[in-house]
Amino acid sequence: MRLNKPTPLRPLIHYAELSKLVSRLKIPVHWHVKKLRRGDVPGPEGRLLKLRASVTALFKYERIEMDYYPADEARGYAERLISEAVRNGPQCPETMEMADWWLEEKQLVHKLFKVLVPRYQNYPTSYTNFYRAPFWYFSDGFQPQLNEEYPDKEINETIPAFRTVSYPKGLLELKGNPYPPIFPSKVTNPRSIQNVLLSSAKDFYKSKEGGSERLSNAESGRGIEFVPNEPKSDENLIESSK
Amino acid sequence: MWHSLSRIFTMSVLVNLVNTATSCSTVLWRGFHTSPACHRLQKLSRLRVVDNSELGKQAMLEGKPPRIIQVYNKNGIGTTGDIVLCAIKGLKKKGVIVGVKAQQPVLLPRTDSNNVVLIEDNGTPLGTRIVVPVPSCLRTILKKKTHAKGADYTKVLSIATRFV
Amino acid sequence: MAFYVSRLSLGLELRRLGCKTMRCSGVDCRSSSSTSTTLAPRSLADDGKTDKLGRREKKNLMMSESVDKPDLNLRFKYPEMFPEPFMIWRNPVKEKLERKDMLARRNCISIPEFYVGSVLRVNLSNIHQPDKVSSFVGICIERKETGLRASITLRNVIDNLGVEIKLELYDPRLLKIEVLRLERRLDPHLRYLRDAPPEYSTFPLDMKPDINRSDEVPLNRIKVKLNPRPWTENWHKIEYKGIDESIDDLITNKWKARRELLRKPWEKYDLMKTYRATLPEEEMEEILTEIKDDVEEHDRKHSRRQS
Repeated sequence: MRLNKPTPLRPLIHYAELSKLVSRLKIPVHWHVKKLRRGDVPGPEGRLLKLRASVTALFKYERIEMDYYPADEARGYAERLISEAVRNGPQCPETMEMADWWLEEKQLVHKLFKVLVPRYQNYPTSYTNFYRAPFWYFSDGFQPQLNEEYPDKEINETIPAFRTVSYPKGLLELKGNPYPPIFPSKVTNPRSIQNVLLSSAKDFYKSKEGGSERLSNAESGRGIEFVPNEPKSDENLIESSK
Repeated sequence: MWHSLSRIFTMSVLVNLVNTATSCSTVLWRGFHTSPACHRLQKLSRLRVVDNSELGKQAMLEGKPPRIIQVYNKNGIGTTGDIVLCAIKGLKKKGVIVGVKAQQPVLLPRTDSNNVVLIEDNGTPLGTRIVVPVPSCLRTILKKKTHAKGADYTKVLSIATRFV
Repeated sequence: MAFYVSRLSLGLELRRLGCKTMRCSGVDCRSSSSTSTTLAPRSLADDGKTDKLGRREKKNLMMSESVDKPDLNLRFKYPEMFPEPFMIWRNPVKEKLERKDMLARRNCISIPEFYVGSVLRVNLSNIHQPDKVSSFVGICIERKETGLRASITLRNVIDNLGVEIKLELYDPRLLKIEVLRLERRLDPHLRYLRDAPPEYSTFPLDMKPDINRSDEVPLNRIKVKLNPRPWTENWHKIEYKGIDESIDDLITNKWKARRELLRKPWEKYDLMKTYRATLPEEEMEEILTEIKDDVEEHDRKHSRRQS
């Protein structure tokens, strides 16, 4: 029996909340708050401490791979911290207190205000990227586990009852990080052999009579019209090649 | 300070199916909700007498305020303008509720104490004056309750000093 | 009545568009909000976050530089214009329609600026009274809900009996709202006045308006001393700034110990929780640009009428 998700507790707007000014986050904000796995400290305090570790790691390494849903939660907090820092700067005591609490290593507080804030000062987009990461890497030496109870059977992760690693993973990174991009940039390289050949063919085609018109038709998508005087163009070609 | 406490208790059940190696499921009870006190007047609720009748004054002085033993209503919940039967000093006397501590709808006043004015069966009040302000909606409510050959509850309004 | 007609038309409009409607709220004042406590005065925001214009300009790259940014301090003057940030029940169409209706009502009567702790006189149309009009003077102890259902609770002690009335600001049965004393208090609500001596809630019914010519809304830092228990609510559980420290003498040691367990020092660091409970600045600006001109016009019109 699948229970429906309960409606999250509705926050009531009071004067105190109106007096707080926050910048809009540019990431999707979920209204169902995900519970995290229990750590040393229980309850909402423990949850925040776990998220604190993730946020500190993100600021330290600028790209981290962890379980998907905790990473999703941590993303919100990282974005909020950066937006508060960008908004208020290090002079505001509240922001400094927040940064001091959230970043366990104190050099990261300096990094936040001196490196990240100038980097993100004029960003119109979100400050982080969040991707789904592979559940496992074979290069890590991951192998399907053998269960002692059933020595003849090879238990693999498709059998949910035996609960081997199957939690979705996420990849969280700060934008503008020094590492190579996760997805290769889709920039066309004019010096690649295909593009060199294509560009020279294009010039050649253009140079012929009526070629520029046909080329513009083809490029605009109107299609290349059938030219009946093909032999004539061939003649021209032979002439030009001479 | 006398006030009626009536809370609503609900049990909320979160069924947690825990799959162990032997695949047995355990059901966990979680959550026990109570609502905040809603201060509704019902049987055995204590009231504060706000007129200057001798009976009422005596009862309040002794520290034995009247208790509702019957609410003349379809549901047993008494609000402003309802006729109730109270037990005061061993006697049974009728009364009109003139002020309620429970949350009221918009534009109806809510008082800090549950107030009652003692009346006879025919509607004549026992006292000669009501010392506290009384909701003006009583005018309409008591007029509606008054029928030609029954009790005349509107006499209570004549002894009221201030309407809110 | 016009109020019900507009509400009905709104409801029909929404049903036609297939939108959900908002449900009524219960009273819940567990929000401690201990970080930012000062309510911004009319002239300047206390929090120092809107002071530095340079940063705000850089932030709003999407908004065109030529557009006049509205003064964000207006949000304290019209708090019911801002919808509750609960995303699941929000609907931009519904909010726009509601704001339109609210501005239409503000055109008819003046809904002045007031805060929790201000003393108001309200003239109501009362079908129960022989002269069909009644008046109530009281201190505003609560401001609830947003939109057309924005309501206030006024409290007064009349003839030694504490009386409270809940009123909806946009109710057409409200004929006039007059601010007799404009001031702010340290807490978002003053329900603890129910368990305080009557001196704190007594205001004469023929009170004359206190004319305050200063630009800033005065903050009354009064600390209320409560009556001994029993109380209607557990006032010791939340740190009310308007309640005197002598409350500790009124509670048992066991209650004090329980209170310690209730403290949540981590909550002020919960950035996402505060985000979910607030409207972002950009959204506030959008709403203010929408209502600013109309509301200024209404204010001018009503002040002209008064003088």
